Amino acid sequence: MSEFTVGKRQRRLLWGISVPMALIALTCVYPVFFALNNALKSNREYILDRFGIVSEPTFQNFVQAWTRSNLSEYFFNSVVVTVLSVLALIIVSSLAGFALAVLRFPLRKLIFVVILASLMIPVQVVLVPFYKTIIGLGLLNTRAGLILSYTAFFLPFSVYLMTSFYSGLPRELVEAARIDGAKLTQVWWHVMLPMGMPALITLGILNTLYCWNDILISLLVLQDNRTLMVGIAALRGEYTTNVPLLTAGIVLAAAPIVILYLVFQRKIVSGIAVGAVKG
Amino acid sequence: MSNISITDLRKSYGQVEVIHGVSLDIEPGEFVVFVGPSGCGKSTLLRMIAGLEDITDGDLEIGGTLMNDVEPAQRGIAMVFQSYALYPHMTVADNMSFGLRMAHAPKDEIDRKVKDAARILQLEPLLDRKPAALSGGQRQRVAIGRAIVRDPDVFLFDEPLSNLDAELRVEMRVQIAKLHRTLSNTMIYVTHDQTEAMTLADRIVVLRAGHIEQVGTPIELYEDPDNAFVAGFIGSPRMNFLNARANGPKSVEVAGRTIPLPNLTADLRDGTALQLGIRPEHLDATDGVRLMMDVDVAEDLGATTFVHGTVGGETLVAERRAHVGNAVRELEICFAPDKVRLFDPDGARVR
Repeated sequence: MSEFTVGKRQRRLLWGISVPMALIALTCVYPVFFALNNALKSNREYILDRFGIVSEPTFQNFVQAWTRSNLSEYFFNSVVVTVLSVLALIIVSSLAGFALAVLRFPLRKLIFVVILASLMIPVQVVLVPFYKTIIGLGLLNTRAGLILSYTAFFLPFSVYLMTSFYSGLPRELVEAARIDGAKLTQVWWHVMLPMGMPALITLGILNTLYCWNDILISLLVLQDNRTLMVGIAALRGEYTTNVPLLTAGIVLAAAPIVILYLVFQRKIVSGIAVGAVKG
Repeated sequence: MSNISITDLRKSYGQVEVIHGVSLDIEPGEFVVFVGPSGCGKSTLLRMIAGLEDITDGDLEIGGTLMNDVEPAQRGIAMVFQSYALYPHMTVADNMSFGLRMAHAPKDEIDRKVKDAARILQLEPLLDRKPAALSGGQRQRVAIGRAIVRDPDVFLFDEPLSNLDAELRVEMRVQIAKLHRTLSNTMIYVTHDQTEAMTLADRIVVLRAGHIEQVGTPIELYEDPDNAFVAGFIGSPRMNFLNARANGPKSVEVAGRTIPLPNLTADLRDGTALQLGIRPEHLDATDGVRLMMDVDVAEDLGATTFVHGTVGGETLVAERRAHVGNAVRELEICFAPDKVRLFDPDGARVR
């Protein structure tokens, strides 16, 4: 790259852009720092110096949040609900995407359009009928009810994504499997599911985020026994808030998602489809 | 080995009919090639035989059994696709054994059949690789191997060599011919390449716009085409067509020259417009009708030269088994009258 020399003017321009951009990027990091920093402070230290760097780090807030504020119980709820919802979403959207992209049946296009249309309706619009349905089904205050709700609300996007992904795969793969004697369920299990991995992993991450971070639906369905995000929101008092306790809760809630992302970031298989047909 | 019998087979997409009543009988062990320009319905016909497209009307029998509504896997067929259609997440061995695993065949039988097929196709060192780690030719061999392992009555090939480069195509063509000799199964092969059709086929089926134009051995189609389309499609470079006019019951006039055609069975009516077909390789005779050709380009391939030019304003290609050189402006062409094929203005053969 030695021939590629940057003139003085360009270099000044580069710096002129880079520095403000770096500062803007830092503003995204600051809340993370704020949460971590204050989670380690005692309430007293926080009141004396809100923005200073922690001087006497303590894990008291984490212990308190986990035990006394019931976050351990809420955490378990969130894990169960998220894992099962995401599993249901992946299986159902892969099956539906396979059907909509590959199979030919009456009203296929209409069904796809209806799914697309439901993608455009905000959750808030259907809250009242949704709540009444949950009560009518006797699913209020059950984890099954929340799992079902998440699956229903996030399914349209997932089905849409899987349908587009599977539409891009060569049809001959399915035809070859059919000639090889695979039944439809076997085509799905042996061919479509492994071929869909890149899209399914993306979906898994996105839906995990949605389910884990949701407050609104969870607040409606699980009113007695809460999920983590609702529990953390409840740590805020009307007049006073124990900020170190709240930030400790936030750190506890964010940790699993960050870890999950770091693990799967490496496992996102790109180009598994390479070699299926002549590239 | 199974015979295939097709009776008045039709295919429509909505209101549009694309296969217009095709009938054909294929003998057990025969290698039949469907050939025609793109959009002629050859692949659709093959996919109807495979069971990948519904049959709108007509009957399809394989081995004497009506197969119209039978699942592809139950038809006793195996298919090799143009795009290979290998399962990218499986190894070569898994790709080849997939059909047997779906049929719950015993493990030692699967192993034996995969090994046999791998030996025939020289795939043994590649069995543990994934398709992404193979070259185009190797992938196509795996696709053929997957078909062999199924031990089908009928092999179906859908333009299997189109994605390969020219050299590999010749190699694979020979390999498929050998395979047919070894296995002697019934094979149906779809291609738009007339060289593949000529070299591989026991019988060629020429299709155009959803109709069969002619069925016959390669030599029959080459020597005795039923119409101008078949005459033009079979043979490379294609047959030359010149405007002609009957000037006697057994003679025509071309570019001011009278050509006697004593072998005609029909009597021509004076003044009838006709097309005279003559192949480039037949323009090098020592004895016969002589014409002068204005040369545009001479393509020297070493052993052969294709000379492009015009006779009386009509374009023509002549083949010479010698170097012609680019300086030549005029060339004398000469052909024996018995090599001439005559067609009426609609393209039907006049015999």
